[in-house]
Amino acid sequence: MLEPSLDLYGEAAERVEGLLVDLLTQSRARYALLIDRQGFVILHRRAAWAPKPPSLDSLATLIASNHSANEAIAQLFGEASFRETVQQSDGVGTYVESVGDKALLVTVFDASAPLGKVKLFTKRALERIQAVLEETREAAPVADIGGSFSVHAGALLDELFGDGKTP
Amino acid sequence: MSTINFAAREINFKLVYYGPGLSGKTTNLKQIHAHVPVESKGEMVSLQTEDERTLFFDFLPLDLGKVNGFKTRFHLYTVPGQVFYNASRRLILRGVDGVVFVADSAPNRLRANAESLRNLRENLAEHGLSLGDLPYVIQLNKRDLADALPVDMIRAVLDPDGVAPLFEAVAQRHVGVIEPLKAVSKLVLEKLAQRA
Ligand SMILES: Nc1nc2c(ncn2[C@@H]2O[C@H](COP(=O)(O)OP(=O)(O)OP(=O)(O)O)[C@@H](O)[C@H]2O)c(=O)[nH]1
Ligand SMILES: [Mg+2]
Repeated sequence: MLEPSLDLYGEAAERVEGLLVDLLTQSRARYALLIDRQGFVILHRRAAWAPKPPSLDSLATLIASNHSANEAIAQLFGEASFRETVQQSDGVGTYVESVGDKALLVTVFDASAPLGKVKLFTKRALERIQAVLEETREAAPVADIGGSFSVHAGALLDELFGDGKTP
Repeated sequence: MSTINFAAREINFKLVYYGPGLSGKTTNLKQIHAHVPVESKGEMVSLQTEDERTLFFDFLPLDLGKVNGFKTRFHLYTVPGQVFYNASRRLILRGVDGVVFVADSAPNRLRANAESLRNLRENLAEHGLSLGDLPYVIQLNKRDLADALPVDMIRAVLDPDGVAPLFEAVAQRHVGVIEPLKAVSKLVLEKLAQRA
C-alpha cells in the first residue's frame, strides 16, 4: 500500500489550510508550511505581502533533515527530542513544531513578526491542526495507482530520459 | 516508503545514492542535474565540506509530470560516503524507496565497496528494511581507470548471486548515469503496482 504522508484529505485539508492562513495573519509571519518528516511539502501558505519564497522543495528538505539531525542529537543525551527549534538571523527566522510523529509545522518569519507572537500562534495553530486530524474520520480517497499508474509513469520516464542510453 | 499526498495530489518517491567515499555519488547527481530539462528539475542542494566531500547529503528533486491526476516526483539524495558520517547516512535512509549503490572500480577500493554495502544493510535494518525487498541497482563507476578491476570480480564481491541490475559508468563523463536511475525508478514503480 501507498502510505499517505498524513491523513489529510478534502474538507480536513481545507480546514488546515484555513488554519495556516490564520497563523500568518495573527503572527504576521511570511510563510506557513506543513511538511512531512521526509521533507515533502504537504500544504503551504504565503502571506499576501510576503516576497516570493525560495524553492519550497529545498526548504522542506533542509528543515526536515535538520529536524531529524536535531532529534538524533537529543537522543545522544537520552532525550526524545528538543523542545524547541528556532533559527534566527537579522533578516529571517524559522520556527518548527512537530505534528505527531509524521509531520512538521514550519513558520517562516522576518523582523515584522516578533518571535513571541510567532511561537504563540504557531503553537495555537498546532493544537487546532491536531484537533482536525483527530476529528477526521473521512475515509482516504481511492487513488488510481494500480498497474495503469506504473505504465503511465514508466512512459513519462522514457520521455524524460530517452532510451536511457547516455551519449 | 512512497508517500501519497492527497491534499496536494502528489505521489513522491525517495531514491538514495549510496556507496563508499569518493565513489562518485555526488558526481551522479550533478550530471543528472546538468542533463535533465529545466521544467523537470528543481534546485540541487549540497551540504558539503570545503573540499567538496558530502557532509550530510545532496538533494535533487525530479518532476515526472502528472500521472492519473497525481503530480509524480522523485527526490534524489546522496549520502556521505566517509565512514565516520554514519549517523547522517542512517537519517537519509529514512523513508527510502530505492537505492543506487555507486561502487568504485579502483582496486584499492574493493574492500571499501564491500564495507559500504554491509553498512547499507545494517542501516536499512535499523529502519526495518532489507536490501532483498527494496528496489536496488549497482553502478560500477570509474570504468575509465587504467587499472579498473574486472566487472565480474567486483560483482562476485558485491552481488555474488547476480540479483541486482548492474551498470558500468564513467559518471564524470555522463556515461552510465541515466541507466541506473531509470532502472531503479522503474523498479520502484513496478513494486508500487504489485502492492496496489
Ligand atoms: N576517474 C574517474 N573519476 C571520477 C568518476 N566519477 C567521479 N569521479 C571523481 O571522483 C571524485 C569524487 O567524486 P564525488 O562524486 O564527490 O564522490 P562521492 O561519492 O560523492 O564522495 P563522498 O561525498 O565523500 O561520499 C571526484 O574528483 C570526481 O571527479 C569517474 O567516472 N572516473
Ligand atoms: Mg558526495
